[in-house]
Parts: sequence; structure tokens; C-alpha cells
Amino acid sequence: MNISPEHKILISPIGNFDAEIIVSIEKGINAIFGFQTRIQPLLDDIGFALDAGRDQYNSTSILKKLESCAPANALKVIAITDVDLFIPILTHVYGEAQLGGKTCIVSTYRLKDSIPVRTGISLPGRIVKEAIHEIGHTFKLLHCKDNLCIMHYCRTEKDVDKKSDHLCRYCKILLDDAIKKLL
Amino acid sequence: MKRARLLIVDDELIMRESLAGWLQRDGHEVVTAASGEEALIKIKETRFDILLVDIKMEGISGLEVLKNVKESDPDTAVVMITAYGSIQTAIEAIKKGAYDYLLKPFDPNELGVLIEKILENQAQARENLYLREQFKETARFESLIGQSRVMQEIFELIQKVAPLNSTVLITGETGTGKGLAAKAIHSHSPRCHGPFVVVNCGAIPENLMESELFGYQKGAFTDAKTTKKGRLEMAHGGTLFLDEIGEISMRMQIDLLRVLEDKIFYRVGGTQPIEADFRVIAATNRNIQESIKDGIFREDLYYRLNVISFKMPSLKERKEDIPLLAEHFLHRFSQETNKQIERISREAMDEMMLYEWPGNVRELENAIERSVVISKTIAIIPEDLPIIRPDGIFISPDNTLEQIEKTHINRMLCENEWNISVTAKILGIDRSTLYSKIKRYDILKP
Repeated sequence: MNISPEHKILISPIGNFDAEIIVSIEKGINAIFGFQTRIQPLLDDIGFALDAGRDQYNSTSILKKLESCAPANALKVIAITDVDLFIPILTHVYGEAQLGGKTCIVSTYRLKDSIPVRTGISLPGRIVKEAIHEIGHTFKLLHCKDNLCIMHYCRTEKDVDKKSDHLCRYCKILLDDAIKKLL
Repeated sequence: MKRARLLIVDDELIMRESLAGWLQRDGHEVVTAASGEEALIKIKETRFDILLVDIKMEGISGLEVLKNVKESDPDTAVVMITAYGSIQTAIEAIKKGAYDYLLKPFDPNELGVLIEKILENQAQARENLYLREQFKETARFESLIGQSRVMQEIFELIQKVAPLNSTVLITGETGTGKGLAAKAIHSHSPRCHGPFVVVNCGAIPENLMESELFGYQKGAFTDAKTTKKGRLEMAHGGTLFLDEIGEISMRMQIDLLRVLEDKIFYRVGGTQPIEADFRVIAATNRNIQESIKDGIFREDLYYRLNVISFKMPSLKERKEDIPLLAEHFLHRFSQETNKQIERISREAMDEMMLYEWPGNVRELENAIERSVVISKTIAIIPEDLPIIRPDGIFISPDNTLEQIEKTHINRMLCENEWNISVTAKILGIDRSTLYSKIKRYDILKP
């Protein structure tokens, strides 16, 4: 794939979100990946992914649908939702990505939990970290053992708060390698 | 977390796919099987670190898969996946050797912690095995022997490169003596009075590699009760030998490249830069060019290591050295075992000359050791040798070395009822090398 200036990372909200959240994600993507972004909702209704028994939404189904409706000049697509996501074998996920693929999704549902007061920790901060984490997977980055790296897999919201909003030097090099291959 | 090879066995496509996707993002290599039957085929083809097996399946059940795996490869950890209704069966599975069970749908944290724990246990077992082998290896350092032209050229090369400070990359098949050559370079270099520090990149688990190489500062992590020097620091003034460099993870490749460029590093949890003066010699039996193409070895690191490089010849390429090596080993093992074995019979020597020695000098060494132990006379006779008789193996002039190696490994496995440890010992290679060769040659268990 040769990247042209038209290739952008699409931020695709499902439902309504505060402008602050979307702007924070845009800034984060710019800082980490260096690509331009565009805000473009692609899915209005994700009822097709609802598992009524679990009262949760199947993130893999959403990613498949997103992939089918993503425009050709979208380098990657990150969807944002406020519903609780799952994959069939697990109880829940914060988000999901197609490893080395085009689409990923992040949910604010569990990230809203237990935001400590007067600590500087904010919901947009958490969402940006997890959104960048999922986009990282689409660039073939794997989970990182460095608990400060944004590619670290977080078991709890506390872990999300603890990790930084940037890549460790290993993941940075691996991302640069992956981007070079696209150019 | 160390990357592992996992097999997911579940008859529900959606469960297989969702679990596979999740584990791949953790960096694991994941294979799936839709039934017990398919799982048994895949287990024969490839060795897995962990199996995640659904208990209830049509046809061959999860419990039968467990039984089969425990018989063929007890080191593989089997985790049973179960629904609420079949917990009793899961408990039964634990009694039969399963590592643990997970109730589906399971919490992602529970899965992550369990896999981490299994891999740490397996890595510890491998490290213990490596330490035992390293102890044996110390006895081998005197055995870089050969009168053949090809070995004379190697000796000349070692003399030439030893006084330099350049990085050396030694390639060659398993058992050809790459470690001995590295030690010889060190011994003939101005650094000979300094330490010769060996790092077996294939044996040290990835999660321990960073602290092994760089050391750690007291308090860097829970178990860091005292500050510990890493192997880089220990090699100061001497030579750092990076054995099996082709096995090193991408992360450690990045670190190594930086250290090779700057010779400055930090202990884990440390803030003070440490300078160490060491020469690097690396060795591999892999085709690094292929690894670069496959994206598992960094090209920039390869060029940094490959300043001077040479290939250790296989024993097949220097058959004229077999008598000298065999006599040397005979003398050594006779002394060690206190047995009066004076010579190798002409017939036994003829057989050794005809044999292909896929495990190279290490296989020859092990063959002589075994012969000395079982010999009942003052001479080694053909029957004492653990090698295939020339009439038992068809070697066409058109056969490649790889074809011969595959045939021989297959034959040895069958003769030893697929006992990996015994077969590896006879072939003079370690178990992980044998597993990788089984995979590479696609050798299937009958």
C-alpha cells in the first residue's frame, strides 16, 4: 500500500460524544502516528451486534461491518462507542483491533468507572490511551510488557491511568518500521 | 510476556476465532483445531507450549486429547475450557494432568495471568536444562581438533581475527563447534586474560533476558533484593559470546543494537549509564538472511554483527578428521569412566566414516561416550555404536544433506518410540533443536 496525502486515520464515533473526547483522540493520533485524521461516522446503528442474553455488543461483528463500509482512502478506522463490548470467549473487552488490519474499536463503557477525583485523571485521557492502543494493533504492534507504554495491556482502569500516553522506545521503533513499510 | 505457540481446540468457530484473535494481540503464535481429531493431527505435526481444549466436543473429547498429549509430550501444558455444567469433568481433567481449567466466558485477566504463569514455569524448566548442558559444555572446550584442510583454514582464520576487536559472526550447523571457535578466538586475543561470558539467547526466557544481559538495580522489581551485574557488565575487559543469536526477540535486538553502537547501557531500574568494554562474538545455526526476509531479525543488527563472519564446516565436510576426533573422545571417556578401552576397531571406524553425522562433532562425541559405556571389550566394535548401519539406510548420491538428516531423525525417533529426550541425546542435539527439526522437516509420528 502506498500512502498518499489523502490517506487519513478515520475517527468514527458511534453515537454522540463530547467534542473534548474527539479532539483529544485527534491530537493523540497526530502525536503518535503522525497521520492526519478525519471524523466520519460510519455506523449509526449497531443493534446487529447486540447479544440480548449478555446485554453486550460483539466487537468482532462491529469491526467486520466497519471494514466493509470504510472508504478506500481510510488508512485505519477507529470507532468509539459507549456500549459494553465483548468477544464470545471473554466476559468483556475495552476494545478490539484487527491485528495488522484496518479497523479497531474502543468502548468508554468501563473506562467511565471509578475516575478518582482531584487527581488530574480524566475520561478523555483514558479513552485516548485505549484508542491509540487499539490503533497500534492495526500497525501490528503487540502488547508490551512495559507498564508505562501505551501498548501495555491493562487489566484494570487503574492500569490505564498508570500507563503513559506514549510508546516506549521499542514500540516506537517497531511502529516506525511498520510505517516505513507502508510508504 | 514471553511469546508462546498455542493450540486452541474448540468445535465452535466463534469461540476459536475470538480466543485466537485475543491471544495473537498478546504476541502469541496461535493455531486452531475444530475437533479432537484435528487437534491430534496438529499435535503430531507441531509442538505446542500450551493447549486450550474445550472439554465437550463431538467425536474425540477434550479428555482424550489431554490423555494423548500427556503421553506424547508431558511438557505441554493443557488448559481445559468448560461451561458451568461440566465443572466436574474439568476437575477430573486436573487429576489426569491438565494444568488448570477456565470457565467460559472467562475474564481476560484470568486468562492472561494463567498463560503468564504457565510460560514462566516452562521457562524455568528450560533454564535448568540449559544450566545442566552448560556444565557439560565446559568439558568440550578443548576439542576444537582437526587436520583437514578446511579446519586448517579455520585455525588460520581464527589466528588472523583473534587480535582484532571486530565483531565476529560464526555460522554453521548444530554441533559443529561454533562455541569452541568463539572460545578459541577469545583465547588467542589480547583479551584472553579477561572473562569469556556466554549468553545462550535460545535458552534464556525472554522475560529474564533483559535482566540477564543488563543486570538490575536493587528494588527494580519485587524480587530484586540486591543489585546484580548483568552479563554485559561481567564481560568487561573480555569477550561476550552471544550463542544462538537467531533466537533473540525483536525487543532485545533493538537493545543489543544500541549497546553494540554505544557500548553504554543501563541496569534494569538503574539511572546511571554503565560503560563496558567487550568484544562481541555471535553464533547461529539459522539462515539469518532468511530470518530478515521473514521479518524476525533486524537487518541493521545483522550488519552490525556480521563484520567478520565464517562458517564452521559440518563433520561431513571434514570426514578425514573423524579418526582423530574419535580417538580423542575415546581417550577422554575411557579416563572419565575408568575403563580400559584402548582402541576403535577398524570395522567400527569404517562405519563411522560411512555415516553422515547430522549432529556433527557433538553427535560423534555422544556416540563415543555411549560406546565406551556399553563396550565389553578393549576395543569399540560396530555393535557398540549408536549409529545406523550403512545397509540400513539408502544414501543416494543425489540426496541432499537435509534429506539425509530428515531420514536419520525420523529413523531415530521411530527406534526410540518418539522419546524426544532419548532421541535428542543419541543425535547429540538438545531437545529444542530436535523439536525445531521435526517441525522444519514436517516429520509425523506414525
